[in-house]
Amino acid sequence: MTVQATQRSRFNSQGITTYLKTLIPPVVAIAIFLILWQVLTMTTGTLLPSPVRTVQEAGDLIFDPFFDNGGTAKGLFWQVLTSLRRVAIGFTLAAIVGVAVGVLIGTSELMFRALDPIFQVLRTVPPLAWLPLSLAAFQQANPSAIFVIFITAIWPIILNTAEGVRRIPQDYNNVARVLKLSKQKYFFKILFPATVPYIFTGLRIGIGLSWLAIVAAEMLIGGVGIGFFIWDAWNSSRVSDIIVAIVYVGIVGLLLDRLVSYIGSKVVPEEQKVG
Amino acid sequence: MSVFVEIDHVDRVFALADGGQYVALKNIDLKIQKGEFVSLVGHSGCGKSTLLNILSGLDRPSTGGVILEGREVKGPGPDRMVVFQNYSLLPWLTVRENISLAVDEVLGTTPESERKEIIEQHINMVGLRHAADKLPGQISGGMKQRVAIARALAIRPKLLLLDEPFGALDALTRGGLQEQLMRICEESQVTCVMVTHDVDEALLLSDRVVLLTNGPEAHIGQIVDVPFPRPRHRMEVVNHPNYYGLRGEIVYFLNQQKRAKKRKAEPVVAVARNGLEKVNLDLGFIPLTDCAPMVIAKEKGFFERHGLTDVTLSREPSWKAIAEGVTSKRLDGAVMLAGLPIGLTLGMGNHSPLPMVSSIVLSRNGNAITFSKRLYDEGVRNLADFKGVIARSSDKVPTLGMVHPASMHNLMLRYWLASGDIDPDRDVSLTMIPPAQMVSNLKAGNIDGYCVGEPWNSRAIHEDLGFIMATDLDLWQGHVEKVLGVREDWANQYPQTHLSLIKALLEACEFCDDRRNREEVLEILCRPEYVGSDPIYTRPGLIDPYEFGGGMESKQLLRFNQFYVDHTNCPNRSESLWIMTQLARWGITAFPKNWIEVLERINRLDLYWEATRQLGLPQIEPNRHPFALFDGVTFDPDEPMEYLNSLPIRREVQIQEISLDSLVTA
Repeated sequence: MTVQATQRSRFNSQGITTYLKTLIPPVVAIAIFLILWQVLTMTTGTLLPSPVRTVQEAGDLIFDPFFDNGGTAKGLFWQVLTSLRRVAIGFTLAAIVGVAVGVLIGTSELMFRALDPIFQVLRTVPPLAWLPLSLAAFQQANPSAIFVIFITAIWPIILNTAEGVRRIPQDYNNVARVLKLSKQKYFFKILFPATVPYIFTGLRIGIGLSWLAIVAAEMLIGGVGIGFFIWDAWNSSRVSDIIVAIVYVGIVGLLLDRLVSYIGSKVVPEEQKVG
Repeated sequence: MSVFVEIDHVDRVFALADGGQYVALKNIDLKIQKGEFVSLVGHSGCGKSTLLNILSGLDRPSTGGVILEGREVKGPGPDRMVVFQNYSLLPWLTVRENISLAVDEVLGTTPESERKEIIEQHINMVGLRHAADKLPGQISGGMKQRVAIARALAIRPKLLLLDEPFGALDALTRGGLQEQLMRICEESQVTCVMVTHDVDEALLLSDRVVLLTNGPEAHIGQIVDVPFPRPRHRMEVVNHPNYYGLRGEIVYFLNQQKRAKKRKAEPVVAVARNGLEKVNLDLGFIPLTDCAPMVIAKEKGFFERHGLTDVTLSREPSWKAIAEGVTSKRLDGAVMLAGLPIGLTLGMGNHSPLPMVSSIVLSRNGNAITFSKRLYDEGVRNLADFKGVIARSSDKVPTLGMVHPASMHNLMLRYWLASGDIDPDRDVSLTMIPPAQMVSNLKAGNIDGYCVGEPWNSRAIHEDLGFIMATDLDLWQGHVEKVLGVREDWANQYPQTHLSLIKALLEACEFCDDRRNREEVLEILCRPEYVGSDPIYTRPGLIDPYEFGGGMESKQLLRFNQFYVDHTNCPNRSESLWIMTQLARWGITAFPKNWIEVLERINRLDLYWEATRQLGLPQIEPNRHPFALFDGVTFDPDEPMEYLNSLPIRREVQIQEISLDSLVTA
């Protein structure tokens, strides 16, 4: 018992040490950053608020993200939620269409040759360049924003899925050929599971791009949403609000990325992780 | 048994990126019986796996085809299941799901309950009940390979193909799995083809080991039959008296291939010097007392005296290796059995005829027939007694060893047996064993007797394992035994070199036959790089009185090893013709319709006379007249067919025109 107890305590102390080791450096870095920020805004004659002033001015935003005063005057939680809803719709559509098209061009050499050049050109188009076109097509703000998300997120999903299909190990295909697996069984038992790691790589890149695109798109289309909130704050010279909103955007973006990769790690078997 | 799988003249050519071609496999021809276990062994990149893929249908041959039970293989299918090198389990399916994926797909028509039973039965068979619900990532490499084997066997393939199945496993796991695979294969009687690097694994598991040469243009170099009885156990196999012989044969083949690869990297150039076209010669010999002239020519400087300043002697494990070495141009020439140049020229063993030249005889006599102690105890003293033993024990056919089908040992043993009304193919079983392994096989009881050259008879006498039934002085005194054999194209390319070789060997033969030199000859022969035998049992016959064992008195046989005296060295076409009649008599080769032409091409007497003239030796040609062996039946060299037809016991004799000129390449 005593031996076990001492061992456990040693493990615990070791656990705490490693925990501290990972925690202290970023905390120190943030502190230095804040101090620098404070010093610089105090010494130079800039419009930018110091961290202390930011907290004072935008306190309500930070401490109460859930207020709703009607119209666009809503707490940051609601603003972010609206943006997330758009991303969710656009990204889901992109995932469904992207995986389907990716499998298509991955399995068919002909389709790959036909479509790959088009995709290579389209994927380099910046997200916002699509906005006028989608506004012209949909005539409405919301579907246009969703379309921009869709068109931004779809390319990495298509290309990674196609790559995954083309990189299915020859061994698995040989197993399928020797067993003479039916098309349907081949798809569900071999092709799809083998491609999953690549699909998730595509999804992770896609979600990051979506979040980048939504902020920019919302600035232009207006209404509720974190993007327009920032633009609105600029117009009303609420610079402190902008800073708070940017912190929110950053944290949400990080969480989205971590969420997709977490799901990926749960779905993809250990052996198959893409190095 | 009928042919189950036939690989019919398969070539596989890959197109290269630069527009060229790479011929991976060339003319692979192999027939596999039902239930047989065949291993493919060769160096990396020799196309073993390509051949396996062609068998499975995953790859297609460029020419030729694979026929399974009379139908051509046109694509992959579950009747030819593969156990892949890296297991190829699907990592997202559990052990059970991996097996059931295969079973459900292939045996889809059988009721579900039955399929379930098959799956569970095979999981149990490979002992993975406890891991049935684990993912492949959670189990060890050995377990994964067991799953792969279970998956393959569960769908009941006609042919199981294994691609280095145990290559990635540690030695302990590998050993266990080999035994398991062997047991499973024996139980389910499945036909298997396995690719492996591991010689011991191949010997343990296979009925036949197919050795592939190096690529490009890899082909079957040799097929080794593995005669161990089944069911096998590792220790029994390893302790089998033939084990090390077979293992040595395979390792030798692989080493030759490795050397061939190196040689290709730095091709041997003929070094012309001393007025000769080529002074760097590789000459082969087999460790036997009568390799003496070659060894003495090297050690006593006869080669150097005639300008051959860079001669390497290559000790070969078997006559087969000698034949292969000369055919493949690895060797410039060799001390050969008298029948070997003739057999090669006539296209023995389904090879295409390879014209050979043999212009000097190196020794006469020197062989004996040894029978085992057991036969002695049964009262065998002569051929009639032996016939009585064969008649009494109808259930067991005595096995006798000989060294090569074209050897005088084989031909004279057969002649001797036939003279006693014993059919050498039906009443006894003749098996081919390299000379150096005769004694151990006799000791192990694999054979009941043999005919071989010295020191391998005297050694058996010395170890009290048997007794001498007859020496060849009793059967045919002064018969041709060992000759120098070279390819005809070699002889044409290097005529002066060939002549110097003959002259050096002639002088060496004279040296060896002088009894004053015999002690020195003995000392050199017993060196480990040559025969490496103990002088005690190398002396009888060569120096000391010959010992017969079995309580018989030893006798001084002055002509037992005859190297020079009495026209030893002059090739005698009548003897060669007699050999041809015997090769045809036992169906080893066809009898050449154009035998006069063939004889003149092989026994180039003009070269022999030129050599003796240059050495200033007397040029007396032995008389050409009919002769007879011990039984008094006269052989008339003008009427070989009549002689052949008069022999009582014989196989069906084939007569063929052997066209040699179409084959001569510049």
